Amino acid sequence: MTINHHPPEDLLADFATGSLDEADHLVVAVHAAQCPRCSRFIQAMEHLAGAALEEARPIALSGTFKAIMARIDEGPAEPSAAAPVPAGLPDEDLPDILRRCHFGKRRRVAPGVKLQPIILPGAGQSRAFLLWSAPGTKMLQHSHTGTELTCVLKGSFAHEGGHYGPGDFDFGDGEVDHQPLVGGGEPCLALVAMSGDLKLHGWLGRLITPFVRL
Amino acid sequence: MNAGLRAVSRPDWSGRSSRALRRSRPQRLGERPKTTVDWADLIGRVAAHGDRDAFKFLFEHFAPRVKGFLVKTGMQPDAAEEIAQSTLVAVWRKAGQFDPSSAGAAAWIFTIARNLRIDAARRAARQSRADQPTEPDDGLDAVESPETTMARRDDVTRVTAALSRLSEEQSTVIRLSFIEERPHAEIASALGIPLGTVKSRIRLAMSKLRDLLDEPR
Repeated sequence: MTINHHPPEDLLADFATGSLDEADHLVVAVHAAQCPRCSRFIQAMEHLAGAALEEARPIALSGTFKAIMARIDEGPAEPSAAAPVPAGLPDEDLPDILRRCHFGKRRRVAPGVKLQPIILPGAGQSRAFLLWSAPGTKMLQHSHTGTELTCVLKGSFAHEGGHYGPGDFDFGDGEVDHQPLVGGGEPCLALVAMSGDLKLHGWLGRLITPFVRL
Repeated sequence: MNAGLRAVSRPDWSGRSSRALRRSRPQRLGERPKTTVDWADLIGRVAAHGDRDAFKFLFEHFAPRVKGFLVKTGMQPDAAEEIAQSTLVAVWRKAGQFDPSSAGAAAWIFTIARNLRIDAARRAARQSRADQPTEPDDGLDAVESPETTMARRDDVTRVTAALSRLSEEQSTVIRLSFIEERPHAEIASALGIPLGTVKSRIRLAMSKLRDLLDEPR
């Protein structure tokens, strides 16, 4: 698998410092898990963060060493009722990170396009979902009020930015106005994190926007 | 304090010690290494035989720094205290997962604190939305496959090499912007550069780091 499209560096940096929204974090994690190049970038950020930690001005703890040892000797807290079995897992060959997620109900959002939300515990601005698109599907010309992070899991799509196959990462924000075309042959499965709303263009877009809920 | 730290006798857990010692050499990353303490070795002692003396050094050095770091990046002192404590508890419990040939001790401890901070934020969010299902493990602690471990060790060499070639100015701007999350205006005054230059300097530093990491060895 050759990955040609990567997240912008600042997104990787925010991922490394843990400051991304949960949905965005998930999409970057799925990409980085299969992209050695981005994984190295994240590691570099962690190194720099380690150096910053090493040089941070120390603030004395109110908890003593004795208290910490007592906490350690108590043993780990009860494992939280065993990891719950992920619900609604779609019948797909998903990356491990996604196999641990909870999924909502899959639904049809447009001809040839199905969506299944991923239920995340945090309350971020973005929501994450899997998106299946039939081969040859032409998505509506759209732009975003927020951001759209996409990692292709299967199949491919293309737009002005290039061709996106498995592992490729696409980042769109308010400045992007595109019309993705799903590659022929096999359906495209992508993991998407989206904040804000889609703005569909053209008379058809304006007509159906109220009905397309991504 | 340093004298006491140095008094810790040298590693007795076989095989890994020489590598661990090499790691302790000053790296360019931390501008001025303050001690010659081999943190990786101390973590190894905790892992190998639950060495409480070794752990005490780790605790006394890192816990206040984790707290200081978190406060500096905007966290309330109480919350930072809790995460600093939990971080050190996790250092004890996960000491066996630390790979001395991999990222340095400080980077490893940073990732523990970071993950705890992420967990805490999600827990807080979940409590305000009690109807949500419990959190799936997001894999932050996933156990690595041997292939992954090998690849990661390879990466470490490349990552350290790239970072050592990043200019001081560039690593500073990355640190201020992304790690300490300081506003651009503050970065401008800290570095004595015009506000308008900050953004381009950050972008330049980030793409330089990318280029250095991409260079074939």
